[in-house]
Amino acid sequence: MSVGLWEILALLLLIGSGLAVVRLQNAVHAALALIANFLVVAGVYVALEARFVAMIQIIVYAGAIVVLFLFVIMLLSAASANVGQDLMPRLPWVAGLGAIGLAGLLTFAVTRFQPPANAPALGGGLPQALGPLLYDPEKWLYALLVVGFLLLVATVAAVVLIEPERIIAATGHPAHPRQDKMPTPPIAEQKDEKAVVKR
Amino acid sequence: MIWLVASALLFSIGAYGALTRRTAILVFLSIELMLNAAALSLISFSKLSGSLDAQVVVLFIIAIAAAEVAVGLGLIVAIFRRRETTSVDALRQLRG
Repeated sequence: MSVGLWEILALLLLIGSGLAVVRLQNAVHAALALIANFLVVAGVYVALEARFVAMIQIIVYAGAIVVLFLFVIMLLSAASANVGQDLMPRLPWVAGLGAIGLAGLLTFAVTRFQPPANAPALGGGLPQALGPLLYDPEKWLYALLVVGFLLLVATVAAVVLIEPERIIAATGHPAHPRQDKMPTPPIAEQKDEKAVVKR
Repeated sequence: MIWLVASALLFSIGAYGALTRRTAILVFLSIELMLNAAALSLISFSKLSGSLDAQVVVLFIIAIAAAEVAVGLGLIVAIFRRRETTSVDALRQLRG
């Protein structure tokens, strides 16, 4: 285990962008830091002989997923996303101590790992090597089918969650039980109402 | 081995973010960070033990993260439409 210059640099970028994701106040900046983190991780993947996964990481994670995040942040307006309310974190010291403890525990756990003496080379992790594994019925084929179905279900679920009005128009009954009455109850009122019911 | 330690650190950073953030979207970003750390540890296990299976599992992790983000952001948008907030402190109806 020899540590070169680029490894130290990548480690610093990795930890730095991770800390930026959890500490930056502006949600858009946090999402951009997440892109940086994903790109550094993709670079590490290339160094670890996982080139195909690195490509997928850039396309799906740094591309599609973070763009979806940015889209929603901007859709929900700066009022909710760029948050003064995020300035005071909940339980900062407890969470900090917990995170440090978790880091110690995980580091202890992973350094127990004994790699086999003569590990075979991965051949760069190219799709030519991954494809046969992925479509092999003895290996991962059924898992692949399940994941495909899961993506379909998630897509339908997202549409149902975001467009309840159209679901009502198409099917004649509300997708969400209380959708037709009380457009958007403000939180404070709802809380009071609930407290009254309790007493 | 250094990347295993790096993934442990990254996971802890994500856990810290998920515990301290108050906006649902930012909690979500931290969860993505934790998923990413798990994938990084799998890739470095794959390199250390010379098995390609872990790389296939990482492909699945990325697909599941995409599904999770679609549903989760849908939930956040739906909640925002009804309650005009995404603060996790305000959304305590399930606490009873």
